[in-house]
Amino acid sequence: MFSFIKIVLRNLIRGPSTEPYPFGKASAPKGLRGKVKFDAHNCVACRMCEHVCAGGAIQFSEVPDKRGLKFTLWHNTCAFCGLCEYYCPTKAIHLTGDYHTAHLQKDKYGYVETGLVKYQPCANCGTPMVPVSPRLLSLAYGQVNGDIARLTHLCSECRRQICDPVSSNRSEVK
Amino acid sequence: MKSLLPQISTRSPWLYRINAGSCNGCDVELATTALIPRYDVERLGCKYCGSPKHADIVLVTGPLTAKVKDKVLRVYDEIPDPKVVVAVGICPVSGGVFRDSYAVHGPVDSYIPVDVNVPGCPPRPQAIIDGIVEAIKIWKSRM
Ligand code: SF4
Ligand code: SF4
Ligand code: SF4
Repeated sequence: MFSFIKIVLRNLIRGPSTEPYPFGKASAPKGLRGKVKFDAHNCVACRMCEHVCAGGAIQFSEVPDKRGLKFTLWHNTCAFCGLCEYYCPTKAIHLTGDYHTAHLQKDKYGYVETGLVKYQPCANCGTPMVPVSPRLLSLAYGQVNGDIARLTHLCSECRRQICDPVSSNRSEVK
Repeated sequence: MKSLLPQISTRSPWLYRINAGSCNGCDVELATTALIPRYDVERLGCKYCGSPKHADIVLVTGPLTAKVKDKVLRVYDEIPDPKVVVAVGICPVSGGVFRDSYAVHGPVDSYIPVDVNVPGCPPRPQAIIDGIVEAIKIWKSRM
């Protein structure tokens, strides 16, 4: 009898344990895997995320005017598995705490995350190339000196010419 | 009377769950949303029912496997109009990670008209509540 009264009193003091959502705010726990966010600035278009994606949600394609590569992620097949974030070398893709994913059927195919990785012309020959992201540089070299910074503006062919002119000439002879 | 009925009835829709071959992840989240006091979907006036004949809002989980397709369609036909369909999880919406499997006939919307999609694998209870709120709005407009 007394234990019953104790529980009633305790519950009265503690208040309801029901979360207020949808009538109030809902919090996302730390580390929750929610909707994916893409950051084109740090992406180096290695396409590893597209390769490992469990749901086949990610697609890279060149835009028609050849300005760069378009990243498209269809939320309606993303399993929130986090593989893309795990394997992305520059952490240009990550899962957020946003889990409010409900939408109407008419928006089904428009429910995407997009981004454009713009090409930049090679400083030497002008060939369009995917720019090297600053985050990848700092990951690879730590301290980035002037020489390395200059090389990042060159396409892979010109870089090879400068770094190893003998073997690149030899390949031309072949 | 005609205007009163929709007003009253739309306050208490009956939810019905169809498992179209799900891995059980979404079903657990649905049970969580409905049964435990922490999320308590009954605050919206909803209640789960055991018979398709009573249902108003249908929650579909799973990618519509070849094995259950006919049964799902038969149960769906038993639900009286107007009904609102909510696809819960990426499986019914697109096939999810099972897409293109020979054992999967989905996505569900190629057989059943879906109204609301709640992607996620599985979606969080709050996301499911979001979907049910949308579904109630649609159901009100159909009454
Ligand atoms: S998001 Fe990351 S993994 Fe994907 S292409 Fe860009 S750098 Fe590579
Ligand atoms: S979280 Fe998983 S399913 Fe979603 S985009 Fe990343 S790899 Fe693909
Ligand atoms: S969406 Fe994910 S959790 Fe839900 S049934 Fe499909 S595989 Fe299972």
